[in-house]
Amino acid sequence: MPHDATVRERPAADAVATLVARLVADYGERAVTNAVVCEQHGHGEGLADPAPPDVVVYPRTTDEVAAIMRLCHAARVPVIPFGVGTSLEGHVAALYGGVCLDFSAMNRIVEVNADDLDCRVEAGVTREQLNADLKGTGLFFPIDPGANATIGGMASTRASGTNAVRYGTMRENVLGLTVVTADGRIVRTGGRARKSAAGYDLTRLFVGQEGTLGIITEVQLRLYGVPEAISAAVCQFADLRAAVHTVITAMQHGIPVARIELLDDVQMRACIAYSKLDRFEARPTLFFEFHGTAAGVAEQARMMEGIALEHGGSAFHWATAPEERSKLWKARHNAWYAALSLRPGCMGFSTDACVPISRLADCILETREDVAASGLVCPIVGHVGDGNFHLLVLYDPRDAAERAGAEALAKRVSLRAIRMGGTCTGEHGVGIHKLDALVAEHGEPAVAVMRAIKRALDPHDILNPGKTVPAAP
Amino acid sequence: MLAPTLQEKLAAILPPQALLTTPEDTKPYECDGLTLFRELPAAVVLPETEAQIVAILKACRAAGVPVVARGAGTGLSGGAMPHKDGVVLSTAKLRKILSIDPLARTAVVQPGVRNLAISEAAAAHGLYYAPDPSSQIACTIGGNVAENAGGVHCLKYGLTVHNVRRVRVVTIDGEVIETGGDALDSAGYDLLALVVGSEGLLAVITEVTVKLTPKPQQAQVALAAFDSVEKAGAAVSAVIGAGIVPGGLEMMDQAATRAVEAFVHADYPLDAAAILLVESDGTVDEVAAEMAEIRRVLTEAGATEIRVSKDEAQRLLFWSGRKAAFPAAGRISPDYYCIDGTIPRKALPRVLRQIDAWSAEYGLRVANVFHAGDGNLHPLILYDGNAPGEAEKTIEFGDRILELCIEVGGTVTGEHGVGVEKLKGTCVQFTATELLRFHDVKAAFDVDGLLNPGKAVPTLARCAEFGRMHVHGGQIPHPDIPRF
Repeated sequence: MPHDATVRERPAADAVATLVARLVADYGERAVTNAVVCEQHGHGEGLADPAPPDVVVYPRTTDEVAAIMRLCHAARVPVIPFGVGTSLEGHVAALYGGVCLDFSAMNRIVEVNADDLDCRVEAGVTREQLNADLKGTGLFFPIDPGANATIGGMASTRASGTNAVRYGTMRENVLGLTVVTADGRIVRTGGRARKSAAGYDLTRLFVGQEGTLGIITEVQLRLYGVPEAISAAVCQFADLRAAVHTVITAMQHGIPVARIELLDDVQMRACIAYSKLDRFEARPTLFFEFHGTAAGVAEQARMMEGIALEHGGSAFHWATAPEERSKLWKARHNAWYAALSLRPGCMGFSTDACVPISRLADCILETREDVAASGLVCPIVGHVGDGNFHLLVLYDPRDAAERAGAEALAKRVSLRAIRMGGTCTGEHGVGIHKLDALVAEHGEPAVAVMRAIKRALDPHDILNPGKTVPAAP
Repeated sequence: MLAPTLQEKLAAILPPQALLTTPEDTKPYECDGLTLFRELPAAVVLPETEAQIVAILKACRAAGVPVVARGAGTGLSGGAMPHKDGVVLSTAKLRKILSIDPLARTAVVQPGVRNLAISEAAAAHGLYYAPDPSSQIACTIGGNVAENAGGVHCLKYGLTVHNVRRVRVVTIDGEVIETGGDALDSAGYDLLALVVGSEGLLAVITEVTVKLTPKPQQAQVALAAFDSVEKAGAAVSAVIGAGIVPGGLEMMDQAATRAVEAFVHADYPLDAAAILLVESDGTVDEVAAEMAEIRRVLTEAGATEIRVSKDEAQRLLFWSGRKAAFPAAGRISPDYYCIDGTIPRKALPRVLRQIDAWSAEYGLRVANVFHAGDGNLHPLILYDGNAPGEAEKTIEFGDRILELCIEVGGTVTGEHGVGVEKLKGTCVQFTATELLRFHDVKAAFDVDGLLNPGKAVPTLARCAEFGRMHVHGGQIPHPDIPRF
């Protein structure tokens, strides 16, 4: 079925059965049809609407992925790549069944080129695994979405995270890729050269395509020298406005802060209880991290503290010892679980608005009023240095009206960000939840081009169908 | 010759002085900075509004006539060379800076705005536009986007693709599309990255939102001399390996410094086999600390002399030589041919050694200047176009350098684009599978291939033809595509 003719249908049951039998024959115990395993692979985090695949295969090499892809292409059966399932937008749901490719067995670090500050890893390598492996080289990979996601998944969704303000997103840090195309050919894009003006930028086309244009099997990444000095600080504010304006002023001064995280009073209340942050109050709070030379870090921090004090912030609570720093960031990374504990028995999902920094205060404060009017409990966290913030929307799954209200609120957040010149997704991707917002953000003509690209690279719509680009109206 | 019906349509869209059709009028547009290749177009149009561009593209689409977009014509790979039956669409009249948002650090500009004009306009806010190709006083932002232009500061601050937030374009069908957004990221496929560097093959750019960068409090440049090119190359790796990301890291060999010195008097040490320029920028304390570290690394790497700029005037003087390298080469040789390969940094000594050997073999002098930090070479092959056979020898020499770049894991163009010049190299660099994906992308935007035909992405047939002539190591390139 052409991608934009109709909404896709499930492939014929006998085609699937024949394919599954072939995969089981070829891959033995690495092709699993067990219902529990399929169920586990049918959803990520966030809104839980599982859609299990028919079979989960654990490839070991790019050649195996290509061979599987050729079979699926011939059988016209969908293929969905799976990292560790931390996606928040339903990317891994097998909406039309098919083959889930679990990359956990492709977790080798292929090469580390310390001189050139780059490395090549298989798609199933996780962020923490890579950084553990880099210990001792003096290098690190900075992109940190919080979850211990795979590099393949991070590239697929164009992830970023808490320190994008300093190091950029996956867009800036993927130098090249190995991708298996819909018809099972292997393409290597980009390379080790730091810049290239030859050909179209297929690397960046495949970064953020969410498995809909090709299956990423290897990633060439940019690495950074571990900064000579790192320090972290926490500063609390009387109100949200003051905290946000502190961030805006810091950005305006061009202070190269490595991370600035905002937690509102609701989120702080949750984190204090969940992560035992006894020193702090349930007030809007900024977490900072500074990277650089010892002198540079001290200077950045001094300037930052000056700005915060001008906006009525508290004196900085310092955390220079690594244990103390990691306790703070752990609390930040656990914000999601802390938030869920605010309403036991409830579920949650996250919005992902990102706006130009000049509109950040408007966007967050309007959103805060919207939340108050909705009657929902929605803590706010944000990588505010780059204009990205998340509303953790809590809802009672047994209450259909509440879920509908929660989804309506999330949609308003997306549209508000778009109205302010921003995006509905700063880092989580489109998946299945933001298909409408994509059209609102880019307009139908631009989406038509995306659709034409999808059709050209995946004419039979077998690559993660139903995601990223909406069917034609 | 323009078909009379199309001419009528264009005349209805544009005022008379904005539609050029006689050879006398179109002559200035026959080539860009790559003067080896020239062609007179059927017409040149100079629209002033996006609405005119939409109408022009619709008219050309209906008539099946090719369109070649052109900025200032400073490109070095023939990207703006006209098509003989086509229309050159100049963005020269679209040169307004529409807005600057100092808080979001962005500027919205029309495509014909000069690169340097953006920094000049942003200076009042303590901001500037970071990518700085050497032609920045003349080249336009539209052309920079089309070519994904770099510059001496892109090691730290990135290429055009890293410094553009949003681009408004018109497709050959006359549809206006905005890609990217004002925020850090945007949803869906990264069409913005596709348009950047697409050399006018996907759409015509009508508006660009660029990211502005705060001017650093302090910037200093260290000039280091070395008694061998290889030592200088190794010093580049040592600097990067020490975890330093300099604002700029440039290298020039002796042929280049001598050519430049006679031209701008940048006070370079002329007895050195090669020099490095290493810039540090940031807060005062950061620069002091980083400069000390740079000095240490360069000394360990065997620098025979290190001078650090004492003030802004001296910093600009040190840079003036590097920025004037191309015109300086033009003064010491009747012609020069600039190569633009990029290689992984650690291959630098090997590639330089080989270029040296070939220089002797061909009897052609080479002046080497390059963005050493990102491994982007610009060997300038000096030749005399009037001497019989010398141009051909030069092209062969250049092709060999580019193939070597690919062999060591690099690319045939770091920042100048493929244009018409590097189509052959592109056939060598990319596999048939990758080229097919390029054609898929092209077809999604421009199914009839009317935008800048014959540039940037070779047809497979062309690669096959080239493959027949060029068998590398006994391997025929693209064995899987049909031969004829």
